[in-house]
Order: sequence, then structure tokens, then C-alpha cells
Amino acid sequence: MTIPSASAGHSHESAYHGPSLRVFLNVFFALVVLTVVSFVTARVFHESPVVSWTVMMAVSCLKATLVISFFMHLIWEANWKYVLTIPASFMSILIILLLIPDIGRRTRLYSEERWRHAPQPVLQESHAATTEAHPVSGH
Amino acid sequence: MTEQTGVVSAVPSHIHLQYQPGLPIPNGKLILWLFLSTEIMFFAGLIGTYIVLRFGAPTGTWPTPHDVHLQEIIGALNTAVLIFSSFTIVVALEMAKANKPAAAKTALLATFLLGGVFLVVKAYEYQEKFAHGIYPAAPHSLLYDRADVYYAAAVREKLSNTRAELEQRKSQDPNSFSSADQQKLDLIADLQLNLVQWSELTATHCDNPVVAEDTLLLMAHLIYPLHRHEARVRQAIRYEITELQQKLAKWQPSPNGAENRMFLVSLQEPAASPDAQPSAAPAGAVASGRAVLENPERIRARLEFLEKAEKQWPHGINDAHPWLKLPIHIPSGHMWASTYFLLTGFHALHVLVGLFIFSLVLPFRLDSRYANVLENSGLYWHFVDIVWIFLFPLLYLF
Repeated sequence: MTIPSASAGHSHESAYHGPSLRVFLNVFFALVVLTVVSFVTARVFHESPVVSWTVMMAVSCLKATLVISFFMHLIWEANWKYVLTIPASFMSILIILLLIPDIGRRTRLYSEERWRHAPQPVLQESHAATTEAHPVSGH
Repeated sequence: MTEQTGVVSAVPSHIHLQYQPGLPIPNGKLILWLFLSTEIMFFAGLIGTYIVLRFGAPTGTWPTPHDVHLQEIIGALNTAVLIFSSFTIVVALEMAKANKPAAAKTALLATFLLGGVFLVVKAYEYQEKFAHGIYPAAPHSLLYDRADVYYAAAVREKLSNTRAELEQRKSQDPNSFSSADQQKLDLIADLQLNLVQWSELTATHCDNPVVAEDTLLLMAHLIYPLHRHEARVRQAIRYEITELQQKLAKWQPSPNGAENRMFLVSLQEPAASPDAQPSAAPAGAVASGRAVLENPERIRARLEFLEKAEKQWPHGINDAHPWLKLPIHIPSGHMWASTYFLLTGFHALHVLVGLFIFSLVLPFRLDSRYANVLENSGLYWHFVDIVWIFLFPLLYLF
């Protein structure tokens, strides 16, 4: 059976004094702004993808934190929220790190035969290209 | 307090027991958070897999959003829709807790409708992929990872199968065979000779392996252009045009005219009657392959074809003639399609489940006694929103 929460127990006696809607509206605007930032970053840092990836991941983590803290009301919850969030975040990062050596670097051990069927990048035209000498394709 | 515990009278009456909840939250909320932690495991596994597969693909092969008809602005729209729906369900919860059931119901309805909008936009996005032959798996998927001889053989086979179908229809019912259908047949013949046969023969008889690879890449690019291959293909076309024009300039007619006869056979073949041999010539006997490449009429036909392809089909043959559905070359296309459809598909399923939960909650009077149920539904919906917050940059912007 559910334990009656404080607000439901007193609902017919006193009004509910929770966080005002203003807080949630501010969080909503912050989320929209962050989405725009993320979208623009992809355009602005077109030349340096690593910078744009880092910024976009940081923005995503910030957005998720905002949703978890405010929309999911965790900021007003007791210490059990750390038991939930910290191991989950830790393991999410860990699963990626653990998969990198085997799956992320799988092409390191590809044989010649395997490379023949694998997708390969096509180099853009080299500066030394002329109509006589054909540019060398990539591997 | 003892009446709450229901403890048997083994406890002496002067001892007062007090029930302490393990966590200061209702059971329903606790169970829902436990469920959400399993969902976190689920999506962390999928998203982690995507990250590792995408960044482990051979460098420079992962398709750009434009290559696979992914529009970032639509993804951003979906993000805005979901964030707004998260906001409205928080409003619904606060209204319910403040004992305003009408406002709560309006907000919940808004959330429900916004979730529907998300699914409609996603269906539109999926349709865009399917229309271009990008499916999660065979047999509908037209994807090939490399423009190699296997790809060329697949294109050749597709063309001859389509042609055989059309010719069968023509022979069975000549009256219903419209001029549009005849145009299709002519186009297929044109492609068979000047696109596929030419590229295959060049690739197999060429001394320079780079030129061979570029010819097949050019063929794939004419069917389905990829932005990152643009410069390379333009260079290959210039190189080929120069080479072919030089060949034409140097050509001397042979004394017995054998080449002309051989060429006439292969050019007449498409205009032949329906019961003629189906494209055995385009496959090309090895002996006559080199002769085809040297023949001036074929060279001229190829030059004309290249010009026509550049002018009339700037977005590729598959785009200009969607009924053709030729195999397309997208490096790492299979991996992309698998991960994209898996991630977005599971997410869309979760959105659907969320909408189902809302539909169960909507009929009730959403006052403060019902706030718990609304809170739990809201927690699930926020989680779905968080997953999308991570999916959007990973799939659309990376």
C-alpha cells in the first residue's frame, strides 16, 4: 500500500506549497536555449569535429541534469538520489570505455582480405593531381 | 503505533515499535525509479554501442547526415516538441498537487498531443529514408558498403531483372504498354550499355587500379551522389573525358571493319524485338571487352551519356527515376542504418508506451489524490525525453 505523502494527507486542509511554476518555466527556456546552442555548435565548429563533439556532449549532459533535477523533482528528494544517479552515470561511461579496445579499434586487426570488403574512405583530390597523373586512392 | 505493524503479542506491551519506511517515498514511486534504472541500463547499452561502432568505423567512411537524408532541423524540431511536452507534464503534476484537476487534465492532454506530434514527425523521417532505399536490412535495403565489382554486378542484375519484367509485360499485352513504359525500357538499355557495361569493362581491363576504382565510384556516384565524393568524382569525369577525346582523335578505322560490326550488334540489341536474347551482350565476352572500349561509337555514346547524366540527373539516377531502385553505395551505410533504426525505433516504441500510459490516466479526475499516478507517468515521460536529448546530437549532429 502506498504511504500517503505529506501533501495528499493534508490536501483538504491546506494548499500545496510546492515549487512555483516559474522555476519550471525557466528550466524549459534554458533547455530550449541549450538545444539551439547544440545545433549551432555543429555548424560553427565544422572544421574541428572534436571540439564540437565535446561541446555537444557537455550540453547534452547539462540538459539531462536539468531535466532530472527539476522536472523529475530529484533536487527536492533525499540522499537516495545519489545512490541512483552516481552508479548509473559511472556505468554508462564505463561501458563505452570497456568496449573501445575490442569493438572501437576492430579495424586495427583487419586482414588484407577483410579490408577488401570493408568500406574505405575516398580521398579528395590531392594537390598534385593533374590530368596526366591520377591521384592515388586512399586505403 | 503498534496497530500499524500487526506484530504478534510476542512483543511485550511496554515496547513501542515504529514503522520506518526504507525510503521516504511511496512504493509506487520507488518501483518506478527501479524500473527507470533498468531502462537506463537498456539505453546506455544501446547508445554506448552506437558510440563505439560509429567512432570505430574506418576513418572517413561514416555517412554525413546529408548522405542519408537526415535533416538536422527536423531532429531539432522533435527535440523542442519533447522538451515542451516534458514541461507540460510537470505543469500537470503541479496542478494536480495543487488540487486543480481541470488545469491538470488540459496539461496532460497537451503532453499527449505533443507526443503524437513527435511520432508523426518520426514517421515522416522514416518515410524519407525508405523512399531512398535505406532500410534496416535486406531485402528492401539497397545499401552497399563498397563500389566494387560485386556492387556493379548487383546493379547489372537489377537492371536486367527490371528489363525482363517490362519486356514480359510488353509481350503479354502490347496494347497496355504505354509510351512511358517504352521510355523506361530505353532508359534501362542506355544505362546497361553506357553506365554498367562501360564501367565494368573499364574496371576489369584497366591497367591502373586507381582509374578502375574511380570508374566504379563514378558509376555509384551517378546513381546516388555522396557529397564527400563530389570533388573526386568530378576529377574522375574530367580525366575520363580527356582520355576518351584523345582516343577519338587518335582512332584509325580498321581495314576489315570488324569493330564496327561488333559495335552495331551491341547498339542494336536494345531496340531488338522482345524475344531477342536478353542482355547477354552487356555482360560482355572478355574477348570483345577491350574492343568495346576502343570502339569510337561506344566512346561517343559514353561521352554523351556522361554529359546527359551531369545535366539531367544532378541528384542521381535513383532520385530522377525512383521506380528504378538501383543498389546504392554508402560507405558504412549498413552500420549506419542498423544503429539509426535500432536506436530511434526503440525510442519511438517507448514514446508509444508513454502515450498509452497517458491514455489510461486521462479519463480520471486529476486531483491531489491522483497526483501520485500522474507523478509516476511523468517520471517515465521525462526519462523518454532524456534519452532523446542524448540521441539527437549523437545521431543528427555528430
